[in-house]
Amino acid sequence: MTGRALAGVRVIELSEVWAGPVGGSLLGDLGADVIKVESFPRFSPTRPIDPNDWRVAPGEGPAYEHSWAQHQGNRNKRNMAINLRHEAGTAAFRRLLERADVVIDSFSAGTMEKLGFDWERMHRDAPRLIRLSLPGWGLSGPYQGYVSFGGGFDCVTGHTAVRGYPWRGVEETSPITHSDATVPLHIVFAVVTALRERERTGEGMLVDLSQVEELATQIPGVLAEWSLNGRLPVRVGNGEQHVVPHQCYRASGEDRWVVLAAEDDAQWGALARAVGHPEWAEDGHPWATVVGRLRDREAVDAALSERAGGQQAEALADRVQDEGGIAAPVAGPQEMLLSPQLNARGWFPTIDHPYTGPRIQAGFLWRFAPDPPSWDLPCGLVGEYNRELLREHGYDDAEIDRLEANGAIGYSYG
Amino acid sequence: MEQPWSGIRVVEIGDGVAVSCAGKQFADFGADVVKVERLGGGEVRRLPPFPGDRPHRDRGGFHLSLNSGKRSLALDVCTPSGREVIGRLASGAQLAFVELPPAAAGAVLDALRRAQAAPSVVVMSPHGLDGPYRDRRENDLSVFAWTTRLHRHRLEGEPPLRYAPHVVAMQVGLTAAAAAAGAVWGQLHDGARRDAEVSAVEALAGNVDTSFVAWSLSGGAPSVPRRSRGTYPVGTYRCKDGYVQLTAGDSPFFERACRAIDRPDFIDDPRFLTKEVRPAHHEEFLAVFQPWLDARTKGEVFRAMQSERVLCTPILDISEALADAQSVARGSYVAVDQPGVGTMTLAGPPFRLGGVEGDRWSAGPAPCLGEHGGEILDGLGYSRDEQQALFRAGVTG
Repeated sequence: MTGRALAGVRVIELSEVWAGPVGGSLLGDLGADVIKVESFPRFSPTRPIDPNDWRVAPGEGPAYEHSWAQHQGNRNKRNMAINLRHEAGTAAFRRLLERADVVIDSFSAGTMEKLGFDWERMHRDAPRLIRLSLPGWGLSGPYQGYVSFGGGFDCVTGHTAVRGYPWRGVEETSPITHSDATVPLHIVFAVVTALRERERTGEGMLVDLSQVEELATQIPGVLAEWSLNGRLPVRVGNGEQHVVPHQCYRASGEDRWVVLAAEDDAQWGALARAVGHPEWAEDGHPWATVVGRLRDREAVDAALSERAGGQQAEALADRVQDEGGIAAPVAGPQEMLLSPQLNARGWFPTIDHPYTGPRIQAGFLWRFAPDPPSWDLPCGLVGEYNRELLREHGYDDAEIDRLEANGAIGYSYG
Repeated sequence: MEQPWSGIRVVEIGDGVAVSCAGKQFADFGADVVKVERLGGGEVRRLPPFPGDRPHRDRGGFHLSLNSGKRSLALDVCTPSGREVIGRLASGAQLAFVELPPAAAGAVLDALRRAQAAPSVVVMSPHGLDGPYRDRRENDLSVFAWTTRLHRHRLEGEPPLRYAPHVVAMQVGLTAAAAAAGAVWGQLHDGARRDAEVSAVEALAGNVDTSFVAWSLSGGAPSVPRRSRGTYPVGTYRCKDGYVQLTAGDSPFFERACRAIDRPDFIDDPRFLTKEVRPAHHEEFLAVFQPWLDARTKGEVFRAMQSERVLCTPILDISEALADAQSVARGSYVAVDQPGVGTMTLAGPPFRLGGVEGDRWSAGPAPCLGEHGGEILDGLGYSRDEQQALFRAGVTG
């Protein structure tokens, strides 16, 4: 059985794609009882119905049951599929809310209200319920209700402006979805913080988590440069203004790369020994000092590029690390799977699923003792726990059959 | 003001960005966070930027941002005397964060666990506390390299590229804070002390935004979306005064984008009717779209696109982000008076209890190195003579 830290906390997760679902899984890892209420009959964007969709993994059954995009963010929760535009579906959902501690929604601001779930009524019906809402721009302000995506949060918070190759244009910056990784972590922290607050006041509350504001907390150095010195940081790519070397170098083999860095003289000495030039770190050599390397940045980079070029990335990184320096091969998924460290720690679980069969998954974000996380529930099927959960909430089998017949709940798409 | 984590003491041991970020989550929501730092001040105090580019251990941007509202104790934890102080601190704490080199971490963890009523402990390290890489030194870039993100984020013909500097350590710190919140909640409710261990590589590789799961389940790795002839309009586009990014290659966003640029006729145009025929007509689309963009500011493009519910944002630098109408309306950034520095702007709350008007979050000034040593040691019951002995022996600073 998975963690027990949040045992007894019931969370309803009404969210799609990454940030909300991953937050739900992490709460599940910690032992919360997480109920995922999936959209029905409209299918989630991470459940493609086209078997040729590039996200669909090989497997049996409907395509939407074996999309990696759905599997990645949805362990350790019980799935329901409810039509919230159907009166009976809405009624069932209200019943779920009565027994929940937390409901998480990732709709744009205003959508829950359109479905009949305004906060005042939710709070009146279930005074201890915590609602965590995570619209892109928050629940207030001129952009409330704007549609949003992970790549966009990166743009408006100043992240995009500082990443990218210094020698290429802004136009060539690619969207990334960093917030999809950080928001789930703040969801977990926000849920527990709100539970603490509820213990203090005895009442539930609305938690407004703007994904834009969340991501804005992640680049303190960029904000400080503007606040303290009125300057916009320059784009440094993989480099560091005050650390030489600090780059990604081409290694031998097709498209293989290695990271080499030395933040101080000792690490530089290790690196110099590992590439067969201990004299680079000896007193009197111009590169032996922090300032010398800073002044000679291009030459240091060129020399390391030349030395790395003929070497296998993993072997070079091992040698540098053995000497006490900083180095890592640039791992793609295959190299990550072969990592001696991740394998020694037994990090990769093999998870069986009715439609994909056993597959190697990414491991947990943390180890935890004495109640470690375990993969109790693989990615749920559409409506898999409809009956179990409706029974838990007082419905009898005849009523549940009627809900299905009316299209208020469902088990499949398309 | 009573805050959600008021009454909880957190001991934060280490000098990195990650541990500072972890402790900040609790400090800003009311916990008493005691930051135990090395005598000369460690990484988080040494990272630029500094006001006027003058290095100063109490004035660095990372320190001011991430140590808000904490108390500082400068202590050599590599001595038995230092670890005895840790033990006493731990006895009154509910949670401890540790980010130390493995060689130093073991004895400190033992000291924490020996404490009466020991706190839950969350320890951060690059690779975890066991395994062949446990003693490896890494930094933001080299950790990133292990997680498939660096490999994936790149342009063709260019080296792999990291994200913004230091986001890796920030994410590791947040991961630790999330685990810690669960650990403390659990301990307060069932009495069982928890230990969590966060390996930086695992924290990133196990989260989304890596290509591992896609590769493992379907054999392919997702590429980073960018402008292409195949699917458009997707990616970064120039406009009158800068750039916008949009994702409108698929239905219904393509149709909405056509309406936003006043070309609803494109929706039924045979050249753009299906995803199959569209790639052949990329240039024709751009011939209409780019002049439309050139005539508008990024703010105008943003609003026009959003009025049709197209996924579109302007690309803002940090000065523009601060001045943006939404940030101003919500107070997304806050001013903190930092002694010796003046007014410093920090990112505001990552979430708001009680809605936008909620006031359960606050960011206080960051402490000078060792600023609270005396009061902390007083609180632990050390006499003035004992405190002088510790100081004279170089255990405290």
